[in-house]
Amino acid sequence: MAINAIEVAVPERHLAERTWRAAVWLFVRKNPLGALGGLLMVLLIVAAIFADVLATHNPVRTSGRVLVPPGAEFWLGTDNLGRDLWSRVVHGSRISLLVGLASTLLGAGTGGLIGLVSGYLGGKVDLIAQRLMDIMQALPILVLALVMAAALGPSLMNTIIAISVVIVPRAARLIRSSVLAIREFVYIESARAMGVSHRRVAFRHILPNTVGPFIVLVTAQLGGAILGEAALSYLGLGVPEPYPSWGRMLSIAAAEYAQKAPWLVIFPGLAISLAVFGTNLLGDALRDKLDPRLRGS
Amino acid sequence: MKIYILKRVIIAGVTLLGMSMLIFVLMRLAPGNITDIIFESAGYVDEADRHRLEAELGIDKPVAIQYLNWLGDFVRGDLGKSYRYELPAWDVIKPRLPVTLELAVLALGFSVLLGVPTGVISAVRRGRPVDYALRVFSLAGLSMPSFWLGMIVILLLVRSLGWIPSMTYVSPFDNLGANLFQFLLPALAVGYRSSALIMRITRSTMLEVLREDYIRTAWAKGQRSTQVVWRHAFKNASLPVITLIGIEFAFLIGGLIVTETVFNLPGVARYLVDAIQGRDYPIVQNLAMLIAVVVVTANLVVDLLYTWLDPRIKYGQA
Amino acid sequence: MVRFRPLWPLAAVTALIAVPLLPLAASAQTPKYGGVLVTAPLSAAPSLSPHEESTVAVVQQASPCFNNLVYYDPAKKQESGDTIIPELAEKWSWQDNHRNLVFLLRRDVKWHDGKPFTSQDVKYTFDLVRGSPDAKGRLRVNPRKLWYENVEGIEAPDPHTVVFRLKKPQPSLLLMLASGYSPVYPAHVPLPEFKNKCIGTGPFKLKENKPGEYVEYVKNPDYFVKGRPYLDGLKFVVIRDRSTQIAAVQSGQLDVAGTGWNRANAEDAKKGAPKLVVVEADSNVNDNVLINFKKAPFTDRRVRQAINLAMDRKGYLIGPRQGAATFGGALLPKPAGVWGLPAAEVSRLAGMGDPAKQKAEARKLLAEAGFGANNPLKFTLSTRALPIYVDTASWMVDQLQQVGIEATLEQIETGVWHPKMTRLEYQVALNLTGVGIDDPDAQLFENYRCGSQRNFSGYCSEEIDRLMLEQSQTLDRAKRLALVNDIDRKLQADGARPVLGWGKQHWVMWPHVKGWAVHENSIYNVSRRQDVWMAK
Repeated sequence: MAINAIEVAVPERHLAERTWRAAVWLFVRKNPLGALGGLLMVLLIVAAIFADVLATHNPVRTSGRVLVPPGAEFWLGTDNLGRDLWSRVVHGSRISLLVGLASTLLGAGTGGLIGLVSGYLGGKVDLIAQRLMDIMQALPILVLALVMAAALGPSLMNTIIAISVVIVPRAARLIRSSVLAIREFVYIESARAMGVSHRRVAFRHILPNTVGPFIVLVTAQLGGAILGEAALSYLGLGVPEPYPSWGRMLSIAAAEYAQKAPWLVIFPGLAISLAVFGTNLLGDALRDKLDPRLRGS
Repeated sequence: MKIYILKRVIIAGVTLLGMSMLIFVLMRLAPGNITDIIFESAGYVDEADRHRLEAELGIDKPVAIQYLNWLGDFVRGDLGKSYRYELPAWDVIKPRLPVTLELAVLALGFSVLLGVPTGVISAVRRGRPVDYALRVFSLAGLSMPSFWLGMIVILLLVRSLGWIPSMTYVSPFDNLGANLFQFLLPALAVGYRSSALIMRITRSTMLEVLREDYIRTAWAKGQRSTQVVWRHAFKNASLPVITLIGIEFAFLIGGLIVTETVFNLPGVARYLVDAIQGRDYPIVQNLAMLIAVVVVTANLVVDLLYTWLDPRIKYGQA
Repeated sequence: MVRFRPLWPLAAVTALIAVPLLPLAASAQTPKYGGVLVTAPLSAAPSLSPHEESTVAVVQQASPCFNNLVYYDPAKKQESGDTIIPELAEKWSWQDNHRNLVFLLRRDVKWHDGKPFTSQDVKYTFDLVRGSPDAKGRLRVNPRKLWYENVEGIEAPDPHTVVFRLKKPQPSLLLMLASGYSPVYPAHVPLPEFKNKCIGTGPFKLKENKPGEYVEYVKNPDYFVKGRPYLDGLKFVVIRDRSTQIAAVQSGQLDVAGTGWNRANAEDAKKGAPKLVVVEADSNVNDNVLINFKKAPFTDRRVRQAINLAMDRKGYLIGPRQGAATFGGALLPKPAGVWGLPAAEVSRLAGMGDPAKQKAEARKLLAEAGFGANNPLKFTLSTRALPIYVDTASWMVDQLQQVGIEATLEQIETGVWHPKMTRLEYQVALNLTGVGIDDPDAQLFENYRCGSQRNFSGYCSEEIDRLMLEQSQTLDRAKRLALVNDIDRKLQADGARPVLGWGKQHWVMWPHVKGWAVHENSIYNVSRRQDVWMAK
């Protein structure tokens, strides 16, 4: 057996030189894909926040310059009402990010709370909550979101609600298993023995330990939420006019002008893909870091 | 063991019941009902006529009674009549089922053919450029909206080859070649996405298995690596993969809805959207229930299969 | 000496050469028999019963199956009282000062199931449609009941005579009976069967109906017009996606396409297949603005006028209509329409002038009404959740913004649109109206009369109601036109349902398709298709 096959613990260099920049650079080197994901996310957030600055034209201002191909004046061309596509795509990032984050946080938050309570209390509450989650999960994502969106009508708020409903059972399941694992720890039992109330134990001791899996969950579901909004808008049930939504840009363009103006189809879809790609990459990297149990992918 | 199976079956039944209530209530929450849609076509609303129509269609009764009527009928196999087409719901759903089934099976097949080998290669060559490339490729599949992929593909084909999605469905029994040609691209569009998930699971389970001692032992014993990989590692990694395939079948449905729309295939999934927008309650309820039954049954089968194959879980928690 | 040369050998030779050439010359115009024509309708037909629907999709896909008493001549592009031709009725005449309309029916007509056609079928159909108390059936929904409210009774004194007795003279009744929405139904077929099947007297028999996918017809060999139809069959294939429709016609899978197409689609199609023939014509479909007369601040005429002025019609032409539209008042103007305002007057309507001036005037009016930069007028602009509506509505929002009005767009789902409009549950809405027949009776009563179910603006003026009734009974064409124009002017001044413009229709077809009728002042009355033939 060769000596270099033996694994020896070697102190990692970053413990010695702990500057911020070095840490980031190390992260990039060790996780190139995660860094790429991070970069895409940053771009998305920047686009959303600085949309007014980055856009070259008013995204809702119609004009007579209809269906102009991409060029110097209109970077990505114009649509059938003469609106600049680049400006609409940039502003669309706001909607995607807003809907994605809002629905993910709402869904994960609600689900997480349910998971926390049912995992902690156990017994009948747990049983009922679990069955409810099963029921919600039994319908494929899009079908449930479709029915909800149809029931509530197309609006910004309703789209957020529809997508968040789909995330709730997944969040509940994840947090619940996390809670079940932590619940058995000795320090929880001793806290209870000392007379600390259920609520305090749950929120003070257990909840902070679920933050890791929660963050993983949010980043993992964010991509799905953005795709969900795109699909709902494509089917006509998502975010309505005048908010520029990438998904809806695809539905109108596809129906009427795909042949004549392919840029109307290419760029919004590309934007969606890049945004989701970024969240997925980042989510994977975070999961590797924060949840060693799932490491290996 | 028998008790375990019984418990799971009962849970599945309760789940289905809850689902039926959820679907029923949600549809009724939507503003406007089928009479509004019928009047929509007529371009005006006459309240007196509307009440009469509602009575005729039986939707003026209290929701609870409607629900019980429907449930009773469904259990007896009577799927009711489509409001929109005034044909038995089963007559409307039946011809559309084979289309969706064929698309789902082809998509699943493609996803396995693409996902499993790439997952294995990626695991075996972990950390190498091939691994990164394959991971990016599969992640791209998860990131693209499947309807967008379909649109881009159609755009490319129309521009370069003048090809268009077929206007009317050709059954495989009439003309297998034309049928496969019609389904090839939609199956790829849907399957690409599923293949990404399968690839990831395959990769991670393979990685776990590859680290196991008995694999190292086999290597140390000098067995050839491909033999080791395929004979030992793969066999043991296949269990989670199989169960994922079972669950994926249900998840495909979302992709099927949009893909059938883009490629103009007269399937059941696309029809669900129409029915929802047309407030065709019988169709929506029955279709959604059918999907739920498929999903719950698939989960149940997978659960039982897993338990049977992996005794460690059998006596664990529910 | 002059020798007499016999002419007959010359004649014979000439004849021998010329006679075979004659068919060659004539065949360019002689219709050929055969072939199945495939086209894409506007959408899937909710049913095959025109009396119970209001969408052109149904008229397109059901008209080949039926006949009317009278019809508009397919060959004449502009429909009017002068282009009415017989169908099931051989002759008709007005009697008692236009108060009785007598039809003499054909005797050689059979329904598709073999039963003979009689006057009882006519009486049955129109008693049904006018909601007569002794009608033998009841329509589930009855959109055009209004058209027949002047009918006092219908008599069928013998199997081949029908008499419509009217309360007051109404020359327009004949035109209403010629509409694609007024076919004759068989009295012996139960109404529910019309949902998915069709028993008519028309040139084509229903072969197969797959709801949501296609409707297929086959030639009716016993059609009462001998020598028609030319086609062996007719197929309507539902294709939802516009690009797929374009690709389908380019590749020849469709012979004709274009329902609902705009100019860009037609140009697109032709670019990919230069042999395609493009037909652009006026339609009688207009974008109009519904301003809720029953809600403040829209009760203020200045506010209504300001909204109207803000809509730059030229911008509407370029943007939402892509260069293909005409302008007018409440009724389609000449040359396509019969009853519209003269061109000089149209050019002076609100929104037609210089956009900068009109917008400035709009701002002034709003200021007078109490709105301005500190107190901007805010409202919700409602429209249907369909691309063709949403595009125009988005353009509107922008125009309103340019005069300081803050409008938010609300998309209303299909099922809820008409109920909301009927109940006036909106502030301002953008509407699209397809006009059934170019006739003042049909249009004015439906859209402007006090209390009419389709008077979605809630507009009500006793004077206008009176004038409407008067023009309906006026027999002299010129006098009637003057009255109608007067009504039109008043409606425009009041801001009742301002029209943004009348879009055009576009068809593309392969050169082998002949006889495909297109009318300029309605899209609903051309779909019999018995004169269509294919030169291949």
